[in-house]
This record gives sequence, C-alpha cells and structure tokens, in this order.
Amino acid sequence: MTVFDLALRSMRQNVKQYYLYFFALIFSMSLFFVFASLQHDTQVQRLLESSVNFSAAFQSAAVLLVVIIGIFTMSSNRIFLRRRSREIGLYQLIGLSKGWAARYLLMENLLLGLGALFAGILCGALISRLFVLILLELLHLDGMPAIDFSLPAAIETTFVFILVAVITSVQIITMIYRSTLLHLFQADRQPDLSSQSPTILTAIYAVLGIVLIGYGYELSGRMVDEQLVMNALLVMAATITGTYILFRVTIRWCFTWLRRRKNGHLGLYNSLSLAPLMHRMKGNANSLTLITVLSALTITLVTMAYSFYYSAEQDTRMAIPYDFTFENNPQDAQAFTADLESSGIPFKHYTVEAVRTTGVIHNPLDPADSREGSLLWLPAEQLQRAGGQLSVPAFGEAVEYDAWAQNAYDDIDLSGRYPTLIDLQSESQTKSYVLKELKVENLVNFDISGKQLAVSEATLDEIARRMSGTEHFEKVQIAAYLISDQAELALASSLYEKYRPDQYTATDFYSSYQTTLQTSGLLIFIAAFLGLSFLASTGSILYFKQMTEAEQEKQSFRTLRQLGFDEKMIMKGIMRKQMVVFLLPLCIGMLHSFFAVRAASFMIISDITIPTIISVGVYAAIYILFALFTLGYYRQVVNKALLL
Amino acid sequence: MKESNEQETVLHARNVHKTYGSKGGAQQVLKGIDLRVLRKEFVGIMGPSGSGKTTLLNVLATIDRASDGAIFIDNEDISTMSSAALSAFRRNKLGFIFQDYNLLDTLTVKENILLPLSLGKISKQRAEREFTAIAEVLGIRDLAHKYPYEISGGQKQRTAAGRALIHQPSIVFADEPTGALDSKSASSLLSVMDEVNRNRGVTIIMVTHDPVASSYCNRVVFLKDGKIYSELYRGEKSRQSFFKDIIDVQAVLGGDHIDGI
Ligand SMILES: Nc1ncnc2c1ncn2[C@@H]1O[C@H](COP(=O)(O)OP(=O)(O)OP(=O)(O)O)[C@@H](O)[C@H]1O
Ligand SMILES: [Mg+2]
Repeated sequence: MTVFDLALRSMRQNVKQYYLYFFALIFSMSLFFVFASLQHDTQVQRLLESSVNFSAAFQSAAVLLVVIIGIFTMSSNRIFLRRRSREIGLYQLIGLSKGWAARYLLMENLLLGLGALFAGILCGALISRLFVLILLELLHLDGMPAIDFSLPAAIETTFVFILVAVITSVQIITMIYRSTLLHLFQADRQPDLSSQSPTILTAIYAVLGIVLIGYGYELSGRMVDEQLVMNALLVMAATITGTYILFRVTIRWCFTWLRRRKNGHLGLYNSLSLAPLMHRMKGNANSLTLITVLSALTITLVTMAYSFYYSAEQDTRMAIPYDFTFENNPQDAQAFTADLESSGIPFKHYTVEAVRTTGVIHNPLDPADSREGSLLWLPAEQLQRAGGQLSVPAFGEAVEYDAWAQNAYDDIDLSGRYPTLIDLQSESQTKSYVLKELKVENLVNFDISGKQLAVSEATLDEIARRMSGTEHFEKVQIAAYLISDQAELALASSLYEKYRPDQYTATDFYSSYQTTLQTSGLLIFIAAFLGLSFLASTGSILYFKQMTEAEQEKQSFRTLRQLGFDEKMIMKGIMRKQMVVFLLPLCIGMLHSFFAVRAASFMIISDITIPTIISVGVYAAIYILFALFTLGYYRQVVNKALLL
Repeated sequence: MKESNEQETVLHARNVHKTYGSKGGAQQVLKGIDLRVLRKEFVGIMGPSGSGKTTLLNVLATIDRASDGAIFIDNEDISTMSSAALSAFRRNKLGFIFQDYNLLDTLTVKENILLPLSLGKISKQRAEREFTAIAEVLGIRDLAHKYPYEISGGQKQRTAAGRALIHQPSIVFADEPTGALDSKSASSLLSVMDEVNRNRGVTIIMVTHDPVASSYCNRVVFLKDGKIYSELYRGEKSRQSFFKDIIDVQAVLGGDHIDGI
C-alpha cells in the first residue's frame, strides 16, 4: 500500500479528528478569497482608482490578512499535531521511519489543504457578493453589483494557499524530526516544571513585564512628535514583550506563589483551574500573548474606524461651520441667493466683515520659535448674529479658533502655548495683542485662508485702522449661508457647484461630508472585515485549544465524578479556568487598546467615547460567545465522563 | 443504631446483571450476582482476568448502573437514588483505589490525596494532621510535592490508597491495590488496610489476583464468567492456612497463575 492510499484512507476514517483543522483551513481560504474578490470588483476598483488612500488601505489590509491567516493556520496546525502526537509515535513504534511518517503527514496535509482551497473558494464566491453589497451601502453608492466569479481572486487565494501549505509542512517536518518517542507519548503528562522554584531572577523578570507595559503606556501618551514612527514601534515592542513576560513569568509567578501558600490544600475548584493552567503555562503563554495582542489590535482598529465614521458629520461641521460661503464675491453670492430662492430652498444668509493681515505669534515656551503668518481677524459680535456660539473677547484680546490644531503642532498638549502675544507691525511701530486661548473648531469655513482669530468689533476697528496701509492688509467680506432644511442640502450643493472656484476640491459642507463619509465608510468596512477575521481567528484558536484540553482532562473529570464530585461542582472549577483563559487576555487587550486609541485620537476632533464603548462592547460580546461555546463543550465532556 | 453491629448488612446485591453493548453485540458480563457484605468486613474478590471483577466493583460502588437486579447500601436501594444523592454519598461515605490509579496528572501527591477533603467542613489543621498520619503510614511523605509522572507505579498506587482513606470513608473499594507493588510494599499497604479495617471499622471490598493479598481478608469471593463460583471464610484460621485454601480454589478455577508466598 502506498503512502498516498494510506493517507486517503486514514483521512476518510478520521474526519472527526480532522474537522477542526479542516474548518480552520476552509475559513482562512474563503476569508482571503472574499477579500481578493472585493479588491478585483469593478465597482470597488473604480473607487480605488479615485484615491491613493483607498488602494493603500486595501493593500495594507491584504498584508494584515495574510499575516493573520498565517498565524491562525500555524496555531491550528500545532494544536492538531499535538492531538495526534500519540498516533505519530505509534507509527514509529511499529517500525516505520521518521521519513515515512513525515511523508505520510505531508501528503495528508496537502490533500486536506487542496480540499480546503476548493471549499474555501466556493464558500467565498457565495458570500463575497454579500460583502460587496454591504460595502456599497456603507459608501452610499448604489448600483447592483455584477454577479461574476473573480478568477484573479482565485489565483491570489491559491498563492496564499501555497504559502500556508509551505508553512504547515515546515511545522510538520520540524515536529517529527525534533521530538523523541517518549515525548510523543507523554505530550501532555509532564507539567511545565520550570515554574517550580521562584528565584530572585524570576521575580525581577516578573516585575520587568509590568515595567515594560507601563513604559509602553507612558510613551504612548507622548509619542506624537517628529519621531512618531520610531516611537510607535517602540511602544509596540515594549507592550508586546511586556505582555509575553506577563503571561510567561509574572502570572505564573503569582500562580506558583498562590499554590505554594495552599500547601497541598488546593481544593476542588483550584484543582480544576489553577493546576491545569500551571500545567500548561508555557504553551498557554504563547497563545495568550497572541490573543491579547490581536485583541488589542482589533479593538483599536475597529474603534478608530468606527469613530471616524461616527464623527464624520461632527468633524466636518467643526471644520466647515457654514454650508456655503463666498469670500469677497458679492456678485456670485447674489446669484446663488437668487438660485436658492427660485428653487424654493429655505436658508439663512449672513454677511461678516473681517480683515486679513500678517503678524507674528510668539511661543511662550520657546522665544526663538515665533511664527509669522496670515491672520484672519473676525468680529465676534457679527459671528454671534450669524449663529456662532462664541463670547466676545475683551478689548485688545483675541481667541484663536482651529479645528485641526492637534495636527498643527508636534506636541499633543497645546495648553503651554497660551496665553501668548501677537505682534502686528505697521509702518514703523509694533503693537501687541493678547492671544488668550485656543478653541478646537473653526469660526468660518476652512477655505477662507488665515489663522482664525475672534476679536471684538472695537478691536477689529483699531486693527483695520492701524494696519490699512500695510502690504498684506485686506478687507474680507464673507457671505455665509445656512440651509435650514437638511433634506435640501444635496440640491443646494449642486446649485453651488458652478460657483466653486476650484473644480477639484469641494469646500461646501455637504460635498466634504460625502467625501469623508466615503473614506470612513471604506475604512470601517476594511476594519470590520479585518476585525471579524481577527476575532474569528482568536476565538477559534482559544476554542480549539480548550477543546483539546477538555479531551485531555476527560480522565480527570471521570475520576472526579467517580470520587463523588458532581457535574455542577466540576463545572464551577472549569468556569474559573475559563475566566482566566478568556477574560485575562480580553481585559489586558482592552487596556492596551485604551492607550492605543488615546494616542491615536488626535486624528479625530470630536469626542469618541460613545463609538469606543460601542465597538469595544461588540467585540467583547462576540468574544464572550466563544467562551460560552467552550463552556458548553466542557459541560458535554463532563456530562459524558462517567458513561465511558 | 442497632447493637448487633457484627451482623449488620452494609451492602446487599441481589441478582445483579450487567450487560455491555447494544442488543446486536451485547455481552453479558455479570449474570446474577448475590452478595451480602457485613459492616467491618474485609471481603476479597478473585477470579480470572475478564471474569467481571472490576465491573462488579463499579456496580457496587455506584459508579456504574446495573442492568438488572437491586443493590442496597445501608438498606437503601441505590437504583432509586438521584445521581446527585449518589455523588454526595460517594464523596462522603466511599473511598476508591482504582486499578489504574486515576491520579490527576496536574496535581502533586499531596494535592491528590487531599482532594476528597475539599468541599468538606474539615479544618485545614485537621486535614494536615490526617495527611501527615496517612502519608507516614504509606511511606510517601517525602513525595508530597512530586507530580504523578515523577513517581513509580507503586508510589502512585500508595498515593491512590492515601486518597481513598483520607476522608475516613465507611466503605473502601479497592481494585487490585497491590498490583504494581513488590511484596514488601504490598504487605505494608495490606497491613495499613488491615489496620484501618480493624481499628476504624472500615468495610473493605478488594479485588485482587494475589492470594497473599486476599489472605488478609475475612472472606474471599470467587468469580467465574460473571457468576459467583464459591466463597471462602477465614474464620479463626491463620493467614497461612487461609492462603493455602485460596490457592486450592484457584487451582480448580484455573486462569490465574500462582505466586508463592
Ligand atoms: N465499558 C465496557 N464496555 C464493554 N465491555 C466491557 C467494558 N468494560 C469491561 N468490559 C468487558 O467486560 C468483561 C469483564 O471486564 P472486567 O474489567 O470486569 O474484568 P476483570 O475481571 O476486572 O479483569 P482484570 O482482572 O483483567 O481486571 C471483559 O470481557 C471486558 O471486555
Ligand atoms: Mg479489573
């Protein structure tokens, strides 16, 4: 009988053993196929061509996806191989060579993989249409997606499959050639013994883990400066290493200490939680770290994307407070007013008389760093009448308004820069005005150039008088429109189009909002897709791992039931273990992402508490679902333990 | 409480049958066993391999359900007890030494032995005293913090014995407790069981292949093909002469090889 025959036969006999690994492969393949199909969809392609950002986002998402697929299949394959180590040992025990066993497993792996490839592409083809529909819906684009099978996507998926096949094959070969027979048979018997005696060195390590994480958190709070990329990498390295040490040393150290204190009087519940956790601490450290990091990554990604989407309107409104404006263009403004009236669109119209000058703003933190620039002086009283929410500064004082202030400087904390002075130079004399504070919003639309400074009308008059002769002085008449009925905005925006000075960039509220919505829609789609894939992978890895552990502990459950501990008592102990296995990485991951989101939140103007809570809530809910599945599986095993 | 404790029946099996498998490939392992065990008795069960000893023990110990027949423990029919009540009963009243030890791999020797005391109301100090006493007698005090994979088969068996005795059960079920022991360790374990049986009044039901081990019993029941073949009472005989009687029955019964004393 050839190796091939045997592989085929054993596959048919052991579907039950294989189905988990098989499922993992199918899942990975269809995931990638769906993503690749999206990338090659004609409608999506048109979108991608329209913006460099779009295609960059898709490209990086594809890379991330391949990475997670690699991690996922490697983890599943490792679990699968461990489950079968006895079988592999048996082949060698009956005299078959290591080479034979390797060839046999590789053949089997290839057959499984090819099956999964076809099944994955088939599943992917069926559901990819659904994803295109969701995407177009999110982007507010209509049009029925074409229903065609994407050949390039299938080819790309095949490439990913080859990659996966190579990785798992290497894993199989190293596993077979590295492990001894005894090792194969006792795979689960031996506890991870290096935890036996906590020495000073491990104590130092244990503290180091926490210190590293703390350093990462601390650095994340002040990393937005010239070395942003460097700092971000440092933060990631510190937190990931810290997390690993936390699971590998710190937590084990706590466990050992706890167990030692019990001095043998462990009790049933600890025997079912603490003991098996310590028994497999080394293996668990890897997977728990992986899951913590992936959870943190996913939560951050989804939270940021959702926050963008969620705050799209508010952020746009902060940068563009008026629906339409005209600068020093009374003819166009009049024509636009007439257009609105003839279309029957209700609106409010205001005129604001401002001036533009150049001036120097000092930096109180660094006298050498004073910046000269164009300043737009706006009368607070007139803005109040035009619906603006602001108070009138005292005479001689100004308040700066800038919706993008957080992006304007390298440091996140701007409070040190205020109050400061503005020097205005006219002819030969210089007069200083006090710049009291900064408000993170715009007073007029961002396309009206110059730093926006609110002053009282009296101050404005004085500035206009003093500066009127200078080189860059300019009177600015702003005609601002607010459309009362939001439903009419689209129509009004199309009327405005012919007055737009620049055909390529939209400056009215509605058009900008639509653009932001599309970008953030794509962003949230990619984030959700990746997030779901990450979540499904982490959840499945934990579920597979716990399933295997449940099988391994079956004999213990049986013994405990024979000794007279009933199902409820045993489940209580198991519940405790699952709390650690599932909730610990989730909580630490959430803490990580809290700091990551905080560090990245400068990109969004609005408050993102609500979108953060929602996305973390959704993530946690789906994640907990996996924990419940696992508990269900355990219950089944405990239930059946006595009937064996 | 009845005064005639010497005659009091603790366990009574009536016409017990056990069938494994479904109708097609059904295999009848126990074919009508009648057995009455008195309080403080030390009963041995012998018989060829596959004759149903472990099965009988499991059925009597409420770990497995009989297919037919009735079992009374302390005059209560266990087939009418709920599984929760049976669990509580096993936890509080019964001790087990399994044929393949069934120690928990993830626990140390001490943790394994102390397991039956968890969820009970015994104080930690008392538990510690009990453990020290029993580990001393079984000669495994030095192994307290070792894991099962680090100790020998005989040491595992003694650990299992410690776990069966620590909570002072009223009945101990032992399935070949001396199977993996050399004759010296075996006799020391048997002396412990004998002592527990005599001084603490624990009823012991022990399956064994070893005539030396069964010579410690008050009575030996011989099984063959799922039925009771014969019974031997020790009475006032010395252990040596009881041992000879046992060997004689075994020779007739066949199946088992005979080790010298
Ligand atoms: N769970 C089971 N399912 C089916 N058959 C079983 C099961 N357990 C035991 N048997 C069968 O019942 C018969 C008696 O088994 P049992 O374990 O009671 O024998 P034993 O007397 O203890 O033997 P040994 O001295 O070898 O331990 C054997 O033929 C065995 O194959
Ligand atoms: Mg047996």
